[in-house]
Amino acid sequence: MVLYDSATIGGSCSGSSSSSSSSKPPPLQQRQQTQQDIDGFLAGAGYRVRSSELRKVAQRLERLETAMVNSPADLSQLASDTIHYNPSDLASWVDSLLSELTQPPTCPSEFIMDPVSNQTVVSDAWTTAEPHMPQVHQNISYEQQSLNNQLTVVPAMEEDSGIRLVHMLMTCAECVQRGDFSLATSCLEDMQGLLTRVNTVCGIGKVAGHFIDALSRRIFQGIGGGSVNGGSAYENELLYHHFYEACPYLKFAHFTANQAILEAFDGHDCVHVVDFNLMHGLQWPALIQALALRPGGPPLLRLTGIGPPSPDGRDSLREIGLRLAELARSVNVRFAFRGVAASRLEDVKPWMLQVNPKESVAVNSIMQLHRLLGSDPNRNSPIETVLSWIRSLNPKIMTVVEQEANHNQPGFLDRFTEALHYYSTMFDSLDACTVQPNKALAEIYIQREIANVVSCEGSARVERHEPLSKWRTRLSGAGFRPLHLGSNAYKQASMLLTLFSAEGYSVEENDGCLTLGWHSRPLIAASAWQAVSDGTADFPA
Amino acid sequence: MVENHSREDHETGGENKEKRPKFFINDHVDILIEILERLDGPSLCVAASVCRLWCTIARNDSLWENLCFRHVSPPPSSVRSVVLALGGYKRLYTGCVRPVRSRLGRVRRATWAGDEVQLSLSLFCVDYYERLGGSNSNGRLVEKSSPSSLMFLCKPVNV
Repeated sequence: MVLYDSATIGGSCSGSSSSSSSSKPPPLQQRQQTQQDIDGFLAGAGYRVRSSELRKVAQRLERLETAMVNSPADLSQLASDTIHYNPSDLASWVDSLLSELTQPPTCPSEFIMDPVSNQTVVSDAWTTAEPHMPQVHQNISYEQQSLNNQLTVVPAMEEDSGIRLVHMLMTCAECVQRGDFSLATSCLEDMQGLLTRVNTVCGIGKVAGHFIDALSRRIFQGIGGGSVNGGSAYENELLYHHFYEACPYLKFAHFTANQAILEAFDGHDCVHVVDFNLMHGLQWPALIQALALRPGGPPLLRLTGIGPPSPDGRDSLREIGLRLAELARSVNVRFAFRGVAASRLEDVKPWMLQVNPKESVAVNSIMQLHRLLGSDPNRNSPIETVLSWIRSLNPKIMTVVEQEANHNQPGFLDRFTEALHYYSTMFDSLDACTVQPNKALAEIYIQREIANVVSCEGSARVERHEPLSKWRTRLSGAGFRPLHLGSNAYKQASMLLTLFSAEGYSVEENDGCLTLGWHSRPLIAASAWQAVSDGTADFPA
Repeated sequence: MVENHSREDHETGGENKEKRPKFFINDHVDILIEILERLDGPSLCVAASVCRLWCTIARNDSLWENLCFRHVSPPPSSVRSVVLALGGYKRLYTGCVRPVRSRLGRVRRATWAGDEVQLSLSLFCVDYYERLGGSNSNGRLVEKSSPSSLMFLCKPVNV
């Protein structure tokens, strides 16, 4: 993430590095040999500045620039009221403007200050008590401090504000966890002010913006999550589709799961795939094609797609099924489709899937199992119910792809911190992909996840991601044993990643499972499982 | 090299036209096809703009089939029917095989040659599926007129 590894941050914090702004003229030693007093280069441009004063003038120009950036309201005043010196006398001109804009600071010059306590002190010194004024204050006081040393660094406002944003986000989250909502609200206002001078198109600004939105949703709209989870099925499918196209995570999930299913179905003539979230069915064309070309000919393929019911009478599941059937017909694969409409996965009962005892079953869950982890003390744990009926189907293989993150911790602050790191990494990886028109929609898809993790609780919070190690324990405990995803899957995943011209993605093998990550932080994990057979299985293998 | 060969033939054909040409490549379509079979993708497209005969020949899918499977062991016969059903070899090559090969070519791994084609086929299939669009006229799915699952293979355009 930008804020932790940019070299200039270290420089600006210590205040002792000597990088200068690009407008600074070439080193003094060179020209002192050629010119006496007035600097030759600047004279050529029409400015008369003494060589001895060059450093001072440069510093003051930097201060003027930061001051102007921070208080645009004063600029109009400058234009009308001030007496301007002739700008060719650069030194006096800069001084005159500076004296108009700034006032001597009265606060102690600490770098990062607690925004709340700062406000009360500052309101005496300034006539307007705008919340963003303390930021100007802190920057100028910091600059004065470092002016005593050698050349100042142009305080890259971006990176300073980035760190400050992160600190403030943590403070706000902590307030929310404590229940101190008034403090959290003022934190929010500060952050929103800070956000106006950070680049929100990329980097920390964008991620912070989403988290600030999610926090304000939690504080002001409560944890019911109505607007977050209220997206229509059509919207969700559209966002999912753009997320599929903009970055490789879903493609990795689909191709890896398909490879595992293909290998598991080797030698079987009657196969049945159960998809827990059909969406547009983008996973299945590749499997149909691979089955069509497998040595020995294609099997009879049945696909059961589970999805939310469509509100306006349109049967979207059936439409997807028809498309897939047309594709299968083109490539001569015998195909049958069945749609099961259910708004929640735990409402599905095994009899709805109509599994034939003679066929080999594959269960495919792409980022669906974590939604079952919300525990309601009044009902049986939904995850256990679903896992037990999956097991009763005796599937040849169950492919599970889940986000590799720990977003189901009970403590809010821990969850918030983890989510901040995870989604920052994910946004970084998205930034590196080629610019496409649908990237914005992919970001909205991620933003909805963030909003759900941060601002919802109870049954409204469905994005309960758990890391691979926890899933391993859970699935082993439910009677499944892991299947190793072979080297073919690894090879295919590596090839797929190379196709995405973004450098930085990495596929790793983790004890038979594959993870896709950004710069060695795994973000999504794919694994395959088989039911441990015992004598009480309903369908003979 | 082969391309120069074919051009030379054409030129000598043109030169000799005044004095009773002995050899004009367009009279020998089988030789022409043999030559065109050995061209690479961009050259084949250029060849298609030479004249009408060359254009017709270059559109022949079997030329593009050779291009797709040039460096790999011959695929099973079932592949052809699948590829033809999904849109043909020319489309497979220009849409998938060529970008896949050029991108993977940077990371040259010998074991990948056959898998490149496999992966291209899978991506091609997803693209075909998107081109299918919706079958109902009242569904909003019909708006899939511009399949975009292969967008990530396209080079970004500097606007």
